[in-house]
Formats: sequence, structure tokens, C-alpha cells
Amino acid sequence: MSKGILMYPKLAATNIQKNSRTYVPYILTCILTTAMFFMIHSLAENPGIDDVLGSGTVRYTLGMATRVTGFFALIFLFYTNSFLMKRRKKEFGLYNILGMEKRHLGKVIFCETVDVAFMSLFLGLITGAVLNKLMFLLILHIFHIEGALQFVFSKKAFLDTCLLFLGIFLLIFLNSIRQIQFKSPMELLREGQAGEKEPKTRWLTAILGVLCLGAGYYMAISIENPVAAVSFFFIAVFLVIVGTYCLFTAGSVALLKLLRRKRNYYYKPNHFISVSGMLYRMKQNAVGLANICILSTMVLVMVSSSLCLYLGMKDMLKERYPRSIMITTKDYSEQSVEAIKDRTRSVLSETGLSAEQELSFAFLSFAALEKEEYFETNTGSGSVFEIDNLRELYVVTLEDYNKMTGKDQSLEENEILFCDKSGEYKKESVRIFDREYKIKGQAGEFLAGTGTMNDVSKSYILVVKDRKALGEWSVLQAGAYGANASSIKAVYGFDLNAGDEEQIAFYQKLMDRMTAPSGPGEGILNVSIDCRSSQRKSDTGMFGGLFFIGIFLGSLFIMATILIIYYKQISEGYDDKARFAIMKKVGMGYGEIKRSIHSQVLTVFFLPLLGAGIHVAFAFPFITRVLAVFQMTDIRLFALCMAGSFAVFAVFYLSVYQLTAKAYYKIVS
Amino acid sequence: MAMLDVRHLKKIYTTRFGGSQVQALSNVNFSVEKGEYTAIMGESGSGKTTLLNILAALDKPTGGEVYLNGKDVTKIPERELAAFRRDNLGFVFQDFNLLDNFSIRDNIFLPLVLSGRKYDEMDRKLSGIAPRLGIQDILAQFPYEVSGGQKQRAAVARAIITSPQLILADEPTGALDSRSTESLLELFGVLNDCGQTILMVTHSVKAASKAKRVLFIKDGEVFHQIYKGRDTSETLYQKISDTLTMIATGGGRHE
Repeated sequence: MSKGILMYPKLAATNIQKNSRTYVPYILTCILTTAMFFMIHSLAENPGIDDVLGSGTVRYTLGMATRVTGFFALIFLFYTNSFLMKRRKKEFGLYNILGMEKRHLGKVIFCETVDVAFMSLFLGLITGAVLNKLMFLLILHIFHIEGALQFVFSKKAFLDTCLLFLGIFLLIFLNSIRQIQFKSPMELLREGQAGEKEPKTRWLTAILGVLCLGAGYYMAISIENPVAAVSFFFIAVFLVIVGTYCLFTAGSVALLKLLRRKRNYYYKPNHFISVSGMLYRMKQNAVGLANICILSTMVLVMVSSSLCLYLGMKDMLKERYPRSIMITTKDYSEQSVEAIKDRTRSVLSETGLSAEQELSFAFLSFAALEKEEYFETNTGSGSVFEIDNLRELYVVTLEDYNKMTGKDQSLEENEILFCDKSGEYKKESVRIFDREYKIKGQAGEFLAGTGTMNDVSKSYILVVKDRKALGEWSVLQAGAYGANASSIKAVYGFDLNAGDEEQIAFYQKLMDRMTAPSGPGEGILNVSIDCRSSQRKSDTGMFGGLFFIGIFLGSLFIMATILIIYYKQISEGYDDKARFAIMKKVGMGYGEIKRSIHSQVLTVFFLPLLGAGIHVAFAFPFITRVLAVFQMTDIRLFALCMAGSFAVFAVFYLSVYQLTAKAYYKIVS
Repeated sequence: MAMLDVRHLKKIYTTRFGGSQVQALSNVNFSVEKGEYTAIMGESGSGKTTLLNILAALDKPTGGEVYLNGKDVTKIPERELAAFRRDNLGFVFQDFNLLDNFSIRDNIFLPLVLSGRKYDEMDRKLSGIAPRLGIQDILAQFPYEVSGGQKQRAAVARAIITSPQLILADEPTGALDSRSTESLLELFGVLNDCGQTILMVTHSVKAASKAKRVLFIKDGEVFHQIYKGRDTSETLYQKISDTLTMIATGGGRHE
């Protein structure tokens, strides 16, 4: 009796051994997929994320990435298992004929699935943990990212991975049972070698793909306002993903069929074999290729933008904090500003440092919707669709203007100087709060580099007559916006000629001095102080962490890409072997076989890379705008980062190509 | 001079790790004149397929020469072989060897496309032979959509579209039902009547009896041959059967 019970596990083990040629790649795929999911999940659970720039968004995105990877694992393992089952149906048919009942077959398949599941989980988790640790060490070492994320073993990720993959293997088992349950032995025998039908052209899907992709691209290029862009971001990404899938599945078949109809093109030795071969192939490969394309795009966008943020940190700091020390207060009265300057001077003399490039002015900034005739300040009337017309208005006094520019302009009541960076504002006056202000002249971009302007929305600068006028604007604005109103701020900034540590020490002292009065008659000054050096320190952690995540996910996705490609090449090699044997008999030489393989593999291989390149090119203007939200405006740097990432990625891709093409050629010849 | 001349052909297979050796052909000598229709018979393992593979230049002999129109096939360098096969030989296989991803038309075009011919020329050639083979209605279909007999006729079309010197057929009726066998053999007869040289390996007595000459191979040598002469196919059928019985019962060697 005990023999009978042991028979199935034994048979299953022998089956796996006997079918090692197809089973080994399958098990490898399972192991690496498990490892990948575990790694991404671990990263998403890493407590260090809280210190990364925009930690909320990053955590959310990583959570999404974990879910997407889980779903991807399900699809991918199903897909690879279907290959395996197709090859093995003949074997199962034979067992069936030789007297094994379907339920016995079920037991064998069950034992096989348990074996594979156990191996995948065990080895996958080990691989995942080791690789995870290794990647942390490697990336942190190579890129010298300070204060970034540290390796942490996540229990939750461990348990979730086990649960997910046990679930997937259960589904795979049920699917295998379903496949053999309702087939007669003869049908099973035949199915292994059944010729696959030519795929149909699905014009509707192809057209849908073009439309989706076109719409996604159009959105990416046309949206100028990054605030609006963020809200449309997910729609554009979704459209591009749908478009990519449609085009790879239906578009490729449609294109190949069109090529086949062009006799002058099709009936050439190279095209003849590759076009028909690829047409045949696209049916099972399109989804895999689309996956590769999307993964590659993600890698490129992630790595290049995080790299750019990391490298551009210095400039961004300069942009955000134009002076080493920036003091801002809401009490813009002259006494208050003088008090601030007094205390600063005393700290300066204590520390023996001197202030250079002093900057001091007051301003009011608020948003308004630009309409045909006037600026709308009624908060209830704005909608998302008008977000492109949102303007940031900066109001500054003439006194400050003259001081900063060294000019000697004068203004009357209800007269202003005006500056519009884009030069699109053509009217001669500004109507706002039911008042009209005559534009006396152009102010020029004198606020550029003062850290007050943001690049997110279009902005206008208005120079008003005096402090009284500025106060009036503030009151009117407060009346319109109520609780959401802005207030006038006074800014005092200067550079310090000292090292980072010294500057931070100065900053600490200054903070103490402002809030803890040292002499009689001194009150607490309500100010906020920004110090570039101290900001740099915390930014290194934030951007470094972001960069680390970019590299980490990028490497994982490259791994996934390589995996898919390798599996594809190997499994197809076995399918193509017979085809090439026939062609050899009909009169095809080694050279021709090699050339046709190259042209086929090359196309299949580089289609996703090409697709990713185009996606990235269209995403480029879009990402530059999103980066502008982080004050990252160096487009040249970003272009360099993007080109660099693409080049490195292409090199990786090429080496995988070399490897798989060799393996493929070895199999077919 | 004979069109195909096979001299002292010898082939020894060595197992992969250099262990035991198997002699597939020991000393095969025969020649085929232009326009002849020859069948080669023999039991399983007698070396028929090895012989055909060497004639097709798919395999190299251990010794001996194969002359096609005076050119030694075994000496052709590797990179010219494919073109040589394409231009001089036509193949018909037992399992058809049509490619599933090509339509019947494209399957037939395959050797011409590989030779870099223009579409118009290929089309002209095809419309010349398609009606004779009765395949003009299935040209747009795919191999998995047509019957075995139709597949084999398509394979014949692929073999003759290059106007080869010699057609090599390896068990062409092996996978066909009796009606399709009948019509394929009839087709071979017609092709031969038009001057096509055919060399067919088979162990079907019926197929061999349609040929003009039958060679018997045993233990890697040509053991016996029968010319049809003025005999009918039925008489030849009887003679072949007798010979096979004699080989099987181990009778003496004919001179």
C-alpha cells in the first residue's frame, strides 16, 4: 500500500528530470520571478523610504509597483507554464492510453506542481534575500549615495511572497487539470504537434492602439502646465500602455500582413523567411514584447529622472535658495525688517563672518485665473480645465524695485510696472478686484534668482507705487480668498563665505538669536530661516534615496526583461528547429539560415527597445515639466541623463541579444 | 555518360563517444541515365536513407564519389552546397516537409525565393505546373488546411518548380492513403514521360512497380536490379515481390 502512495511523487520527480530541457528554464523563471517580487515588496516595506523625497508618493508608487509585479508574475508564470503543458500533452496522452486515469494524471501533475512550487519558493526567497543585500551593497558603493536606504529584511514581504506564489501555483495546477480533463487521449497526443493557425488581422484593435498611443503622446507634449500635467499624468500613461499592447498584438500582425502583400519586398530571401516567421510568432510573443517595451520605458524614465534629480541637486538648491541664508517673515514692517537685520549683524560679528550679496524686499504672491478681460479671484469658479489659465501674481513695491535694479522709476496712483516672462500679455492694463491698473512700463525679470518665483505655473510680476498700495492689494486679496489668502512676506538673504559646517553652525546660532532674545527690549521675532548647506544635507538623503530606488527598480526590470527574452528565445528555438531543418533540405545554406535568424531575432529583439525609445522621447517634455515642480529646470542635464541611461540600457540589451542569439542558433542548427 | 554516377560509396557511422562503428553503406555502385525513373528498395536499416542523404549532399560519405553530370557532389564546398541543391535537385519527402507558416503558394516558391528570382517569373512557372498537379485551387491555403494527398502534390510542385536535373523522393507514398498514393504515382509517371529523371527510395512494392528500374540494397550494397522493359506494372510487381521474398529468405546472390 505504501508503495502506491509513494508512486506519484516519484513519478513526478522522474518526469521533471526527464523533461529537464523544458523544465529547467521554467523552474528558473519561477525562482527569479519569486525573487523579483520579494525584492520589490521588501523595498516597498523598507522604513527608510520615509526619509526619501516625496515619501508619500514614493511609498504609494512602490506599493503600486508591488501589485503590478504580482500581477505580472501571475501572467508570466501562466504563459511559461502553457508552453510546458503544450509540450507535455503528448506524454500525458500516452500515459492515458497506457491505462492511467485522468485522476491519476491529476495526482502526478499535483506532485509536479508541489515540487516546482517548493523549489521556486525556497530558492526564490533565498535568491531574493541574497540579491537584495548584494544590490544594496553594490549600488550604495558604486554611486556613493550617502544616508540613503539601508537593507532591512521584511517579514511582511516574506509572508506575502509565500502566499502569492502558493496562490499562483494553485491556479496553474487547476489550469493544467482543466487542460487535460476534457480531452481524449488521442486529442492530447495530437495537440503537441498541431500546427498553429495564422493569426487574424484585428484592424479595430490596431486602430484603437494607434488612437490611444496618439492621444497619450499628444497629452504628453501638449500639456504645458505641470500642475495640470500631474493630474493628467496617469491618463496619459494608461493610454500609452493600452496603445502599446494593442499595437504590439494587432498592429504588428497588420503591418506584417501588409508587408507580405508587397511582392517586391516579401519575395526576397531574407524578408520571405523572417516576415512569415514573425507573423507566426507574433501571436504568442506580442504580449511578452509589449511587456518588455513598457518595462524598458519605466526603467529609462525612472533611472534618468532620478539620476537627473540627484546630479542636479546643487543647481536646484541654488534656484530654491539663491542665498546661503534666507530669512522670511510675515511682518514686513520696516521696524521688523530692521530688527532682523540688526540681530543678524550681531551674530555675524560674533562668528566673524560677513554677509555678501545682500538681498532684501517685500512681496505678495497669490494665484488668479486669467480671463479675457480681467483676473478672476473668485475661488468657487475655477475648474480643473481652466488650470492652464492659472497665473501666479507677484506684487512688489516700487521702492524695492528701484533698490534691486538700481533704476529710478516713478509711478502714480493706480499705475504699475508689469513683467511677463513669456511676453504674451498684450493688454495695456490689469483689471482685478474690480479695479483697473494702468501698465506704465515693463519691469523686466528682476525677481529671477531670488527664490520667490516658481516655475510651476505662469507668473506675472506687478510693481506697485508704494507700501500703502501693497497693503491695499493684500487687503483686497484677503477679502477675495478669505481663509486661503496669502500675506505679504519680507525676505532678507545673503551669502556667507564659509564651509558647509560653519554655515550650519551660523544658521543654528541665528535661529536661536531670532527666537531667544538675549537683551532687554528684544522680543521673539517670528521668522523662518532657510540655510542652503543644511538643506543640502537633508536633500542628499532624499534625492539619494530616490536615485537608489530608481537604480534598484531599474536593475530589477532589466533582469525581468532579460528573463523574458531569454525564455522566449530558448522556447522558440525548439519550435523553429524543425522549420530550419526543412529549409535546409529545400536548399537553404548555413549563411542564409544565420542571416534570417539574425534578421528575425534582431527585429523581435529591438522592437521593444525602439518602442521604449519613442515612448521616452515623447515623455521627455512632459517629465521636464514634472521635474520643474522640484525646481529642476536644467533640461540639458536631463537630456544627458536620459541619453546616458538609454545608452547603458542599450548596451545591456545588446549583450543579452548576443547571448540569446547564440543559444538560439545552437538549438536550431 | 550517365547523369548520376555513384562509385564505391561507403558510409560508416561512429557513435558519439567514438565507441562502436556502424557500417551503413559498404560499397554502393550504380548509375542513372537522364530520363530514367529508378526505385531503390531495401529493408529497414539497409542504408536506403543514408544513400539518399549522401546523394542529396545532406551527408558526407566516408569514401567513394557521387557524380552528377560529371561533377563530384561530395567535393562541393559547404557554402556552395545549398545553392547546388537548390539548382540541381528537387526533394519529395515522406512527411511532406511543408512549412506551416507559409501558404501552399509560398511553400512552392521557397526554393525560387532563396535563389533570388523575381515574383513574375515564379508566378509564370507556377501557373505552368499547378494545373498539371491539380493544386491551383489550394494555392492560397495553408498546409494545415489541406489533405495529405494535396500536401504531397504541393511538395512535388516545390520539387519541380526549379526544373531540377534530378528528383529525389524519400518514401513519398509513406504517409498517404491508397487513392492519394495512386494519384501521386501516376503523377510521377507523367513527369517521367516528360523527361524528368526521378530517383525514389521506397519499401512499397506498389510504388516501386511503377518505376522503370528497381535497385535492391542489402547490407550496404546493391544486391540486385530489375528493369521493367516491356513488362506491365503488374508483372514488375510480381518480380519485385519474388526478389524481396528471396532476399528475406536469404537466397543466393544474382549476378
